[in-house]
Amino acid sequence: IFFNCMMGSGSLNSGSRSGSSKTSTSPTENYQLARRRTLQVVVSSLLTECGFESAEKAAMETLTEMMQSYITEVGRCAKATCEHTARSTPTLSDVVITLVEMGFNVDTLPVYAKRSQRMVITAPPITNAPVVPKALIAGQKRTHPTYIPSHFPEFPDPHTYIKTPTFREPVSDYQVVREKAASQRRDVERALTRFMAKTGETESLFKDDISAFPLIAAKPSTIPYLSALLPSELELQTLEETDSSEQDDQTDTENNSSNVSQDDQSADKENVVLPPGGVVPTGKANEENMIDNPYLRPVKKPKGRRKKLKLIY
Amino acid sequence: VPHSGSSMNRKKDKGFEICINNINFQRKSVIGYVELTIFPTVMNLNRIKLNSKQCRIYRVRVNDLEAPFIYNDPTLEVCHHESKQRNLNYFSSAYTAAVSAVDPDAGNGELSIKVPSELWKQGDEMKVMKVYIEFSLDQPKGGLHFVVPDVDGSMAERAAHVFSFGNQNSTRFWFPCVDSYSELCTWKLEFTVDASMVAVSCGDLVETVYTHDMRKKTFHYMLPIPTAAPNISLAVGPFEILVDPYMHEVTHFCLPQLLPLLKQTMSYLHEIFEFYEEILTCRYPYSCFKTVFVDEAYVQVSSYASMSIFSTNLLHSGMIIDQTPVTRRCLAQALAQQFFGCFISRMSWSDEWVLKGISGYIYGLYLKKTFGVNEYRHWIKEELDKIVEYELKMGGVLLHPTFSGGKEKDNPTPHLHFSIRHPHTLSWEYYKMFQCKAHLVMRLIENRISMEFMLQVFNKLLSLASTASSQKYQSHMWSQMLVSTSGFLKSISNVSGKDIGPLIKQWVDQSGVVKFFGSFAFNRKRNVLELEIRQDYTSSGTQKYVGPIKVTVQELDGSFNHTLQIEENSLKHDIPCHSKSRRNKKKKIPLMNGEEVDMDLSAMDADSPLLWIRIDPDMSILRKVEFEQADFMWQYQLRFERDVVAQEEAISALEIFPTPASRLALTDILEQDQCFYKVRIQACFCLAKIANSMMSTWTGPPAMKSLFTRMFCCKSCPNIVKTNNFINFQSYFLQKTMPVAMALLRDVQNLCPKEVLNFILDLIKYNDNRKNKFSDNYYRAELIDALTNSLTPAISINNEVRTVDNLNTDVRLILEEITRFLNMEKLLPSYRNTITVSCLRAIRMLQKNGHIPSDPSLFKSYAQYGHFVDVRIAALEAVIDYTRGTHFVLTTNFLCLSFSMLGKLGPFSWSGIFFIFQLVCLLQRLYGNCSCHTKGLIVNKRNPPSCLSIQR
Repeated sequence: IFFNCMMGSGSLNSGSRSGSSKTSTSPTENYQLARRRTLQVVVSSLLTECGFESAEKAAMETLTEMMQSYITEVGRCAKATCEHTARSTPTLSDVVITLVEMGFNVDTLPVYAKRSQRMVITAPPITNAPVVPKALIAGQKRTHPTYIPSHFPEFPDPHTYIKTPTFREPVSDYQVVREKAASQRRDVERALTRFMAKTGETESLFKDDISAFPLIAAKPSTIPYLSALLPSELELQTLEETDSSEQDDQTDTENNSSNVSQDDQSADKENVVLPPGGVVPTGKANEENMIDNPYLRPVKKPKGRRKKLKLIY
Repeated sequence: VPHSGSSMNRKKDKGFEICINNINFQRKSVIGYVELTIFPTVMNLNRIKLNSKQCRIYRVRVNDLEAPFIYNDPTLEVCHHESKQRNLNYFSSAYTAAVSAVDPDAGNGELSIKVPSELWKQGDEMKVMKVYIEFSLDQPKGGLHFVVPDVDGSMAERAAHVFSFGNQNSTRFWFPCVDSYSELCTWKLEFTVDASMVAVSCGDLVETVYTHDMRKKTFHYMLPIPTAAPNISLAVGPFEILVDPYMHEVTHFCLPQLLPLLKQTMSYLHEIFEFYEEILTCRYPYSCFKTVFVDEAYVQVSSYASMSIFSTNLLHSGMIIDQTPVTRRCLAQALAQQFFGCFISRMSWSDEWVLKGISGYIYGLYLKKTFGVNEYRHWIKEELDKIVEYELKMGGVLLHPTFSGGKEKDNPTPHLHFSIRHPHTLSWEYYKMFQCKAHLVMRLIENRISMEFMLQVFNKLLSLASTASSQKYQSHMWSQMLVSTSGFLKSISNVSGKDIGPLIKQWVDQSGVVKFFGSFAFNRKRNVLELEIRQDYTSSGTQKYVGPIKVTVQELDGSFNHTLQIEENSLKHDIPCHSKSRRNKKKKIPLMNGEEVDMDLSAMDADSPLLWIRIDPDMSILRKVEFEQADFMWQYQLRFERDVVAQEEAISALEIFPTPASRLALTDILEQDQCFYKVRIQACFCLAKIANSMMSTWTGPPAMKSLFTRMFCCKSCPNIVKTNNFINFQSYFLQKTMPVAMALLRDVQNLCPKEVLNFILDLIKYNDNRKNKFSDNYYRAELIDALTNSLTPAISINNEVRTVDNLNTDVRLILEEITRFLNMEKLLPSYRNTITVSCLRAIRMLQKNGHIPSDPSLFKSYAQYGHFVDVRIAALEAVIDYTRGTHFVLTTNFLCLSFSMLGKLGPFSWSGIFFIFQLVCLLQRLYGNCSCHTKGLIVNKRNPPSCLSIQR
């Protein structure tokens, strides 16, 4: 039993989990239920042995669970120990080491096994071992190439590495392309606006049916001219895409001249913060000289502080 | 100064110093002082009158002596509360009297300062007096406008700004001054503002100095060129600064984040400068120029000495097509006014027409140069039509009124419901028409004396003024900087040697336009064209014309000009024809411009050699011509006359000739790329009208559909429009307009044909702007307008309530589109929110036609402060239309509601906000629960002062 339980621990666990859903009578379930029942019998007999006459169901369950956990842990560790030594089947010594590891005095085991009052438990009924459902087979399973020794693991199922390219003929008919682009955009817009309307405040044109033709409520903005005058990001994007390089050149030169003004403004501000010895970039100063505009000139300090100011200039 | 004798206490200012120490954006208040230097021109100057409105004056000192003063603004209470007279005529005359009582040109003012007796002796010796006035301004309702967005952050982060504005001479609203265009003086201006702000004002920025606590900066300006107080302005805000890359003495300012737009918008200004300097052969008079773009601007453009304030809504990116010419025109207007209006000021209010005329005229020359002769002639025709329509409807516009006495019976314009004695009593609409007429009359003078002489006159005015401006402290020279009607006319006669007296008498000293009716007959025996030209000079707004008139006759042998004399009693004029009718000979027909063309002459009268006749083709009379000629003649005129004005006249004439020949002529014009695009646009609408009249006999697809398909749709799939490419502006404008015109088509059931509606819906569906260099917002907006145009009244049974379920299927499709557009706009707003504007109009139209329940609540929410101004106007229009559509009789409460909404609109595009509020209060007082029809007030909505037109 011990070993049976140990080997089947994996499925036992899962069995106990799915067992809670009851009423299932699949072969796998039956197999696991049978094992669990055996385990319960073991627990009961041990209790009897200890002198208990009855036990609450909950206590029984808890003990069964403890037992099962213990056995499972022994099984898991034994397997780990065995794999550590590059074997695939655990041996007795593996189990012994495990038990030692878990703090169990192995020497007491033979005495305990041969104790007189022990009860003999019948083997669990033979039920059909659960059938592992067949994986979907996609393509031919590959065999090892000649340079890989046969004891190496087999290739995994083909579906994990086979790729099937899917593509259709690109639609080249102009009418269809336009049609598609148009309806796609319309669908996106409609979905988006519907969503916005559903999630926010709305106004309606009909009193009887507020949900028909919902209009996103008009919200006054604090600075209405900004959104009305500045091109939207979308528009800017299209502009960038369609712009010719000539235009770029043009804006570049324009940028330069305006940068002067902007930079200068910030330079003004810096003057306020900077100590008298603060450095104003000389490049800017040069450009400044080129464009003599009173609005670009630095702000003067009030009379009392004039002397300090000269350092900045 | 001519009027110096009109008052006993006349003085002359030499120098003016204004200093504003504190501008508080939070409280919207201003504190400062002014110091005037005065040279008394009379003995015993004991009282000084100045203009000041809404300012709180703390103290006045004359030469450091405390001076007592009295402040009285009679316009605060125009009609006394207990006054028995309660009508608008009475109000109007009382208002005029109140304005007169403080008119600076008559030596009056709201603020009367008693010169301390210690100084009377000095006055005898004509010594300089310095008048020092401390004042403050709290929450000004005019003169200065504060824009303080309600967000977190410092004032600079909130883009809070303040700027001066006003209708004509309104400077008294923000500091005490002599608020007259004829009182010139030099200026020293100082503004202390937060360190994060920039103060832009007139003249040269001498220096900027920090205050001792380093938290503020003081901007010192000097304006050495003598300037009148109304030409002084101020703008303070956290402006971004752009030095013009072409002209470093020109600086542009805009609100934060808009710098890229400013760069784009201003990339063109130097060309306007060059143009004016070249034609006037005169340098720009000031040493610098500043442009400031502000939000909630009172008007699109206002010009002051060496600076102009523009609406920020004129800024645009490079992707915007439609706004670009509009903005450029505004810039050109502003610059023209710098020369005439700011640098050269006027002697008196009745000389205003000269300034407006000259600036409008040179602006026209700029239009001609930049946008071409077609655009210029189209504009002249448009302006002429406007003034003619206004005068015929409202009565004459008088450019140069002369007022003899103060009596009401001497009123030169008794037909008007307001006095034209003062710029402040005028209707805004009237003033617009006044400006329009002024520049048209300048053009008439040009026709008479030639452009060369005209420009010489301007040059002379400018060079005299600039010589005078450089003279210091010799103020008698400074009057050269003021233009007067007589001085201007003398200049013209000196330069040209021509007598334009009759022309001036006809158009300047007299109001009204000429209304001609023309018809003709061809006398085959004599080979003479018998032309009859009648006049209507009895209706309101008309006047009798006597003098030459040009008639152009296009015959088979060529085009001939004839100058006829319109005399007292002769109606008929015989014009000999040059060609016999010989239509069988195949020969090319010479046109006016020397071109020779082949014409299919089968349509014309076999006996007559006349192809078409034009009366006054050069628009050298301010007139309306109703001319009768056969439909085929109009068609020939449309096809072969190369003048855009003639083409436009022909198109409007063809509206009453719904024949296949007219259809063909219009379609041919539509297809011609060489034809001026505005003519083609007009042809679209005419074609729609003709198609509707020809409904029963119309064959083929709906008008313009196949044309549109050929021009703008894909070759392989004609139902799909090409992806947008607006690189060719002419076709862009046509592409925008054609669907709008097509939507006006109706079938026999008076519905928009299904085919047309589907076509427009497809245009919307397949609209693809991804590859376009330009924004398509105006195009999409016009597609929505097209949907709006397609709407027809719903068939309603027993006034059933409109519900979603009984929505017409077509309407459902339209509504679907509009909903989507309007919602998308919230996520990706279009330039100037054009799409929202069109959607609001469309929704109102759906309501009006009974497709959806009529309800103004949506519009009211869009009319709130905080939406873009175009949207608010559209929404308000819809609200007003709602009240009209339902024949709703306004209660005073509703009226006040609308007006309070207007009040929140901020000042834009209309003047005299005080005026309207005064009127509303008056109305309230007069008619406790008045039942004014909406209509009268709707007109006023955008032009408040004309609300006096409600004569009831």
